[in-house]
Amino acid sequence: MNVQPILSIQDLRVSFRTTEGILDAVDEVFVEVFEGEALGLVGESGSGKSTLALQCLGYQHSKALTIGGSVNLKGRILNDLSFDQLSELRGKQVSFVPQNPTTALNPAKRISQLFMDVVERHNVSRSSKAAEQLIVDLLSKVGLGDMDTILDRYPHQLSGGQQQRICIAIALICSPDLIVLDEPTTGLDVTTQEQIISLLIQLKSQLGLSMLYVTHDLALLSQIADRVAVMYAGQIVEIAQTERLFKKPLHPYTEGLIASIPQVHSTEHATKGKQLKGFLRRTDLSMGCRFSARCDQVRDSCKSNRQNLVLVKDAHLVACERWDEVDSSSQSRGTVIDRPETEQICGESNHRRQDSGPILEVNNLSVVYHGVVPRVLKLLTTPPPPAVADVSFQINRGRVFALVGESGSGKSTIARAIGGIIVPEQGAIRFEDKVVPALVGSRTRENRKNIQYIFQNPDASLNPRMRIGETIARQVEVLDGCESAKLRRRVEMVLSEVQLDGGYYYRYPDELSGGERQRVAIARALVVNPSLLLCDEILSGLDVSVQANVIEVLRQMVSERGVSILFISHDVAVVRELADEIGVLYKGRLLETGTKTEIFSEPYHPYTKMLLNAVPQVGRVPNEVVTEEIQDRPLEVTNSCVFSQRCKYCIEGLCDQSLPPLQKFGGSHYIRCHLDSSGLRNVQ
Amino acid sequence: MKISCPKRYKNIFWSRLVRRVTQGWSDSPQSFKVGSVLLVFWVVVAIIGPHIAPYSPSQIGTGRPLSGISWGHPFGLDQLGRDVFSRVIHGAHIVLFLSITSTFCGLAVGALLGLTSGFIGGWFDEIIMRLVEALISIPFLILAMLIVAVAGPQLSGNSFLIICAVSIVYLPRTARLARAASLDIITKDYIMVARMRGESTFSVVRREMLPNATGVLLVEFATRAGFAPVLIGSLGFLGFGMRPPTPEWGLMISEYRELIFLAPEILAGPGIALATLVVGLNLCTDGLARIFGRSGRGAKS
Repeated sequence: MNVQPILSIQDLRVSFRTTEGILDAVDEVFVEVFEGEALGLVGESGSGKSTLALQCLGYQHSKALTIGGSVNLKGRILNDLSFDQLSELRGKQVSFVPQNPTTALNPAKRISQLFMDVVERHNVSRSSKAAEQLIVDLLSKVGLGDMDTILDRYPHQLSGGQQQRICIAIALICSPDLIVLDEPTTGLDVTTQEQIISLLIQLKSQLGLSMLYVTHDLALLSQIADRVAVMYAGQIVEIAQTERLFKKPLHPYTEGLIASIPQVHSTEHATKGKQLKGFLRRTDLSMGCRFSARCDQVRDSCKSNRQNLVLVKDAHLVACERWDEVDSSSQSRGTVIDRPETEQICGESNHRRQDSGPILEVNNLSVVYHGVVPRVLKLLTTPPPPAVADVSFQINRGRVFALVGESGSGKSTIARAIGGIIVPEQGAIRFEDKVVPALVGSRTRENRKNIQYIFQNPDASLNPRMRIGETIARQVEVLDGCESAKLRRRVEMVLSEVQLDGGYYYRYPDELSGGERQRVAIARALVVNPSLLLCDEILSGLDVSVQANVIEVLRQMVSERGVSILFISHDVAVVRELADEIGVLYKGRLLETGTKTEIFSEPYHPYTKMLLNAVPQVGRVPNEVVTEEIQDRPLEVTNSCVFSQRCKYCIEGLCDQSLPPLQKFGGSHYIRCHLDSSGLRNVQ
Repeated sequence: MKISCPKRYKNIFWSRLVRRVTQGWSDSPQSFKVGSVLLVFWVVVAIIGPHIAPYSPSQIGTGRPLSGISWGHPFGLDQLGRDVFSRVIHGAHIVLFLSITSTFCGLAVGALLGLTSGFIGGWFDEIIMRLVEALISIPFLILAMLIVAVAGPQLSGNSFLIICAVSIVYLPRTARLARAASLDIITKDYIMVARMRGESTFSVVRREMLPNATGVLLVEFATRAGFAPVLIGSLGFLGFGMRPPTPEWGLMISEYRELIFLAPEILAGPGIALATLVVGLNLCTDGLARIFGRSGRGAKS
């Protein structure tokens, strides 16, 4: 490691002027990035990590104010540079890969133009010939080399993964000293995320890139980062070598973060340490240690004394005055607030299942989106491919059925069909042994009350102009007539059930944090005592610690009220924590169904295995997949396996010619594949 | 921590509102301040005017006709010896009442129509919108005159008719705006939640959609209210509005225009009044549009 760091941030302090007063987004942060090193910066939302990342480019929000400290990039102090000097430097010496490639790439420009913008701004090459060569080289570096037409395309003609590769290639044009990546894979599917991560690792070793990788996903950092800095409420609370940090976290917050990572592969749930309690609230931070409000080890001196980073050993720094005590008592504490073992809960619900039949049956459901074609023309045009084709499953009382799949697999479509928002093309939905009408308008009040839908994004599902109490109370008024005197009491009860204070009754949604809002949405569904909850990706968009919290609420609902849940998620790890039965969905078809143990053990469907392998886990190297995802060419869905194009085990002439059969493997385990049982057992 | 005192939150709400308003005032552009001062002035005049005016608006012979400006008659005297100053003051509440009421009616009906149309969609939406477009294609004044003419002579001069005419002129324009706003709102999941709850169409429109369109509608209200005095004045000027001797400003301008060379001062009174009211409303509107564009509850992240 070089003595001189590429980037060195000294005592940086950035504040925002808000209506609530001055808010320290970044507070006396000290960070260094050395040559060829990837520094991971991790923290929950609101911890100031993006503010810090932008500071590395000398950029800040117009309402932000740098109060003190400096950002030093290769000997140049960014705070002192003029705007012209900064814009000369941005993209050339330090470049940025944004979170959402879909909005980061100008949709009106072709890919070649997007590259040329940077080339021309920084005069990278003299001739257009040389520039073209440079771009082609870059494209092959990011694994897009064999797509000849890519330069003439527009961003929307590429998939999300390809778009992010383009963003990375653009960031590499000037061979910058440092690349700042702000959550580059957050919006992508797990399999695409894995590809991007392995690409970054490869680029790092080939080109000796220095990276500052900002993310909320600690498991991901264990794969890519050399060192990890943990940020909380604007302060760095711990920095260490990645291995050391995961083996021996010293700060209680880091420990909590590591414990919050859901596990996919290990079955050892009991070894998990305690979860983080509460969430980051910028408004009530104590003068001393900012984490003290959520820390179990807090003592009076923590609250009054400012915690500074102290060197422990081997460049391991921690900002906790009790680190040595915390370290020694680590083992004993782990067991104190252990979560109940998942297996145990499974056992209970197994028991329950015996005396209860299915609450919901979905038979041969198919949904087609016809778009805006008028009804008259529908007969003349060829029908679009179905969003969901021939899906059947059932949910038993008091059980959690999870649908897993990547974006575009039709998960939400199924939930919407069950909820009665869209009309299925074919198939029947039986709820409590009766076929329910397709559209919600023609269902009985009892039906509408018993099936409750929770949406992905609480920002959109809560009316911003209605107080929390009104929103929840309205649900009761319409669905479950209740005396107005008792109504208030009932709303407060349900709020307390989702661990919210009764005083939230008068608040508006925008006064709540994301996690609180999602809990309000859950409360709104629960207040009418439904028997089936449809949870559509309700955890994506929430921080890990908040996720764990919401999962806990859902678990309680299942065990105490006997609610059944259809849980839709792209996150295999979360599904493993919560679900009893799982269905794996790909392009509108169920490829595998079974109980949790059946899905997570052999035999695997090739797609299931691929999903499981793609989930980032602590201490596991991502698979070496640098191949570009295959372009979706139009596919005759009716007579081929939908997964055949991406399948490693695809049998030419069979898989792309005929529908795979549904094979049964004991119990309720079904796999839809052409491979025979020995073949499925050997899927890697 | 259990807080069982909801009053505290109400207090927070009010104190926040007060802070937002005071901060909004100090942050607001100069033009908005000027506009609201003018507007407040006219509202005050409309309310207390009739009590402080020296003469009744129709009292003839308060002085020598067309005798010019004096301390007793700051805006002069008209051809019948009526005090123009008193007439302008008495006219303020008529003009304000007519403008605000007609704008409000047009806006309320238009907004409900537009939101409902956007929410229901399909054929209903198509038919309503084509009708609305047909109405929009007729110019403001011609449409208003048409309505008054159709109503017949026995109703002419009726203030209810004026309100109807202006409302109908405003209705299609507001409906279009509300429908555009509704297209964004109906994609939101809370509308879906309400649908799944089985709410009636009217209930969804009123409870879920209307509160979220208020930002747009308020700005629209202010703009339209700013133009309403002009429209009512024009109708009065053309003889389609209020009947003499009502001291409506447009009508007064129309009556006095023949005397412009003999006694220009009596034309100046209602002219300046109308001008300041319209300018005040417009500046205020502009400020409101900026304030609501900057932050609404919905827009805040």
